[in-house]
Amino acid sequence: MTTTTQPRTPPTNAGVAARAIDASKVYGEGEAEVRALDHISVDFASGQFTAIMGPSGSGKSTLLHCLAGLDRLTEGQVVLGDLDITALHEKQMTRVRRDRLGFIFQTFNLIPTLTALENITLPMALAGSDPDQQWLEHVIDIVGLRSRLKHRPSELSGGQQQRVAVARALASRPEIVFADEPTGNVDSKAGAEILNFMAQVVRDAGQTIVMVTHDPVAAAHAGRVVFLADGKIVDECSDPTADSVLDLMRKLGG
Amino acid sequence: MWKVTIKGILAHKFRIVLTSIAIVLGVSFMTGTLVLSDTISRTFDSLITNVNGGLSAQVRAKSAFKDEQGQEQRSRIDASLLDIVRKVPGVKDAEISVAGFAVIVGPNGKGLNAGGNGPPPLAFAWNPSSTLNPVHLVAGTAPAAADEIVIDKHSADTTHYRVGSRIRVVTVSSKGTSAIYRLSGIAKFGSADSPAGATLTFFRPDVAERLLASPGKVDSIQIAAEPGVAQNKLVADLRTALRGRSGIEVASGASVVQEQQNNFHDQFKFFTVFLLVFAIVALIVGSFVIYNTFSITVAQRTRENALLRAVGASRRQVTTSVFLEALTTGIVASVIGLGLGILAASGLKALLGVLNIDIPAGGTVVKAGTIRASLVVGILVTVLASLIPVFKAARVPPIAAMREVALERTSAGWKRIVAGALVTAIGVLSLLSGLFGGGSNAGSAVGFGAFIIFIGVTILGPLIARPAARLIGWPLPRLVGVTGQLARENAMRNPKRTSATAAALMIGVGLVGFVAIFASSATASINHVIDHAFRADYIVNTSGFGSTLPPQIESDLAKVPGVKIASGLKIGSMKVGSSVHQVEGIEPAVVDELFGIGVSQGKLTDLGSDGIAVYKNTAKSKHLVIGSTLAVQFAKTGIRHLTVRAIYNEQALAGPYVISLATYRANFDDLTDLLILVKAQPGQAEHVRAAVESVVKRYPQGKLQDAKQYKADQAKQFTQIVNLVYALLLMAIIIAVFGIAITLALSIFERTHEIGLLRAVGMSSAQVWGTVELESVIIALFGTLLGLVIAVFFGWALVQALKDQGIDQFAVPQIGLLIIVILGAVFGIVAAMYPGWRASRMNVLDAIATE
Repeated sequence: MTTTTQPRTPPTNAGVAARAIDASKVYGEGEAEVRALDHISVDFASGQFTAIMGPSGSGKSTLLHCLAGLDRLTEGQVVLGDLDITALHEKQMTRVRRDRLGFIFQTFNLIPTLTALENITLPMALAGSDPDQQWLEHVIDIVGLRSRLKHRPSELSGGQQQRVAVARALASRPEIVFADEPTGNVDSKAGAEILNFMAQVVRDAGQTIVMVTHDPVAAAHAGRVVFLADGKIVDECSDPTADSVLDLMRKLGG
Repeated sequence: MWKVTIKGILAHKFRIVLTSIAIVLGVSFMTGTLVLSDTISRTFDSLITNVNGGLSAQVRAKSAFKDEQGQEQRSRIDASLLDIVRKVPGVKDAEISVAGFAVIVGPNGKGLNAGGNGPPPLAFAWNPSSTLNPVHLVAGTAPAAADEIVIDKHSADTTHYRVGSRIRVVTVSSKGTSAIYRLSGIAKFGSADSPAGATLTFFRPDVAERLLASPGKVDSIQIAAEPGVAQNKLVADLRTALRGRSGIEVASGASVVQEQQNNFHDQFKFFTVFLLVFAIVALIVGSFVIYNTFSITVAQRTRENALLRAVGASRRQVTTSVFLEALTTGIVASVIGLGLGILAASGLKALLGVLNIDIPAGGTVVKAGTIRASLVVGILVTVLASLIPVFKAARVPPIAAMREVALERTSAGWKRIVAGALVTAIGVLSLLSGLFGGGSNAGSAVGFGAFIIFIGVTILGPLIARPAARLIGWPLPRLVGVTGQLARENAMRNPKRTSATAAALMIGVGLVGFVAIFASSATASINHVIDHAFRADYIVNTSGFGSTLPPQIESDLAKVPGVKIASGLKIGSMKVGSSVHQVEGIEPAVVDELFGIGVSQGKLTDLGSDGIAVYKNTAKSKHLVIGSTLAVQFAKTGIRHLTVRAIYNEQALAGPYVISLATYRANFDDLTDLLILVKAQPGQAEHVRAAVESVVKRYPQGKLQDAKQYKADQAKQFTQIVNLVYALLLMAIIIAVFGIAITLALSIFERTHEIGLLRAVGMSSAQVWGTVELESVIIALFGTLLGLVIAVFFGWALVQALKDQGIDQFAVPQIGLLIIVILGAVFGIVAAMYPGWRASRMNVLDAIATE
């Protein structure tokens, strides 16, 4: 296990899926100024499952939102693959999210009026494109939802709802899936299942996933963990276990 | 608790303002109507006072009865009474008065005010007494020669006639002619160029007698007293002088003013009530919007209210809090509505001035009663509409604070079905009893029934809202994909809300559709009668009141070579028993060649000078058979006993009673024709048209039409009224559109997370807007279709009820209803403009982060 304060070049077998360059995000002005991101530069390799960790207010969610085109940087750049999204118009940004990215949120992941299947294919329906049936079937099988496709979210358990969200995020084969505390609202068994699915698609299909979490157990499913504090990257490690993450957190906390 | 309420109100300023609009519009409509009608009433009161300013007493015939329009029916009196009157001590001036109608023909050949629906073309004998004459000359002199006239300044200005001009004037009377006169003078009416847009023509008194009445006969004698002579004393002296003259009465100037004012108020009341009905409709629609808005906000604030309960607020305190919000909304809305209504009334008054309906000077009249009524009604409607939501708020248990925001539940199906069906049935019963039962309260029963039916359908609404929205939205997913699907699902997810929102639109559309169906049925009925009963080649048509045709035209037309028959229809009023009815005078020998009235018993040619023909249903209800004697009262000749000589089936052209022209002439002063029917010699119809036309051209109030043109003309008259009603219902529809907008705005607020998620996973802002628009269109179409179903029922019921009045064809105007449906969709689009824009501008990150 290696630890370093410098962002590292990702493993050699893949390119960079997402990159933040000298990224800063500032809220408020003058006395009330809050610097959520403070000149961060970080790469996320494609085909890798990366976890972003850090205490509340460390800026981890802000980083995810900016990488995912949901929020805009005050300074610096965000590049997805070969596309610089920093200066995109709202309209272009929406297309990027729809066509190139996948999302899993902590809560409110599903549209209550749509069935599970309709929720899964929603981004493609919005684009007016047809899903890749074979892949879709595959994703549905991975998350084990075949018998629940016609159900509405209100008829599904919390864990099932998150599995639908995972399937939705994966179904359009996005370049990157961004997950914001995907297991924060479900019990530990369901959480473990969901994280296993995510790890499985990374392993089997080379999916890129960037996940924000504060749970060391969740982070242990990732291939790499990046630690944030006060808007700066303070550490990172590869192939973490829950214990190694906990150790690192204690060290950074103390 | 007050503090909480006030803070709540301040926090929801925007929502309260939006909700208020529903009541503001209704209240301003009501205030505007009351203020406008009070203003017009007062204006006419002072007009009547001014006209009779110098009048101390009036000698006239006793009134026989009031006709269907509420006008006193008096016969004329002998002009020779003037000599007796003038000898009575205390009389300063006494002059004859003759009034009638005369159309001034402009240089372009068009008659002024000959149209019929606008202000009338009045004609009078010039009154030489400056005390009694309401007008004063501003140019030229009084008419001194038989062919001289004075006209009002407004008419002179619009035609550019000057003193000395030669003018064609068509007198509309039994002795009416179309002749050329020399303009001897121009007069003003007080400060106005003409009273309320009427045209005035003054003839020399003896000429007026001859043209407007008959020589030696006048309407009344107007008397001005010597200074210092009281009206009562003068009236008493006149009565003494005229004692023994039967049928003559003397009225004081003051009582004449009072009579005329009352008469005006009686007739004008219709206008006020007519407009108020639409104001009430607007307020009812507004109350639906208020109910819906408060229901939604109470549901959204369940948690807040539960928290209040949890920290110890009593049920009463929660109720009071919501109730006070409703009360505040009601007060604010009513006050704003009152102000806007007064402004609108002033604006309308100014508009009348622009339209040449020159109302003499006088300020806008705002009575204390108007202010009181507007405020009370506005506040009451708001508070009553919010009662149910208020009590719902009180039922929130403290534990609800801990739960997720409760989604709306539709109450047990069967309870709703029973309640809705029961209420609807009561409405239908009330409506039908009003329509078919008749009686003095028929109008109220119909209105109440219609209102209750709307309520009943609103109660049933949630049961059909889901399937209806599913059906209406069915093509959307196929047409526009997932946005269409989301819109459809959103319209279906809250059946109560969708249905209550649609119900507001349903009322406006229901009434519009009903009017459209009724108008089309009435037109179809008229066309049916004309197609089946009309046998003449041409008809000389008029627009009615003040523009009838002098009998001269009939004889001129009869002389045209190739014309076989030219026969006028005369219509007057007579009293049968205690009620006043229309009676038609026809020429029995020729009527059969002009139009068929379906004589089932007896013969029209037997009418003679003492016979009467009766419509079959009238005959049935009065137990009349051939040979029965019917006592009728004419204004001119008093009670006559007529023998029933014929009974007929078609009353659309003939009305309930028909007498021969001979009988008509003997019993009526006014012998002008409402219509003249022309039949050419066989095969000559086309040939005679030009010659007939040239005769009719001399009388600008008449227009020559064939059957097809006559049908079109009748339809057009309906269209005008129908368009007016549409315009008045627009207010109710605008309020309903606001209601849709408010509901959508509140729903979108509720769906903040959802919209945030959709935006995050790639829905464009245009797609978000589009989804809101489509949901709105579904809701609007639901309301429109519900409204049209009710409209068809109302229309059908009314046509059934009016079968006896000649409206026997039930015709649904398909294109008209299709246009209403399209407009309904457009209303939906308009309603969603603002909420859609707001939804599309929602910040994605804030939406996701909102807890």
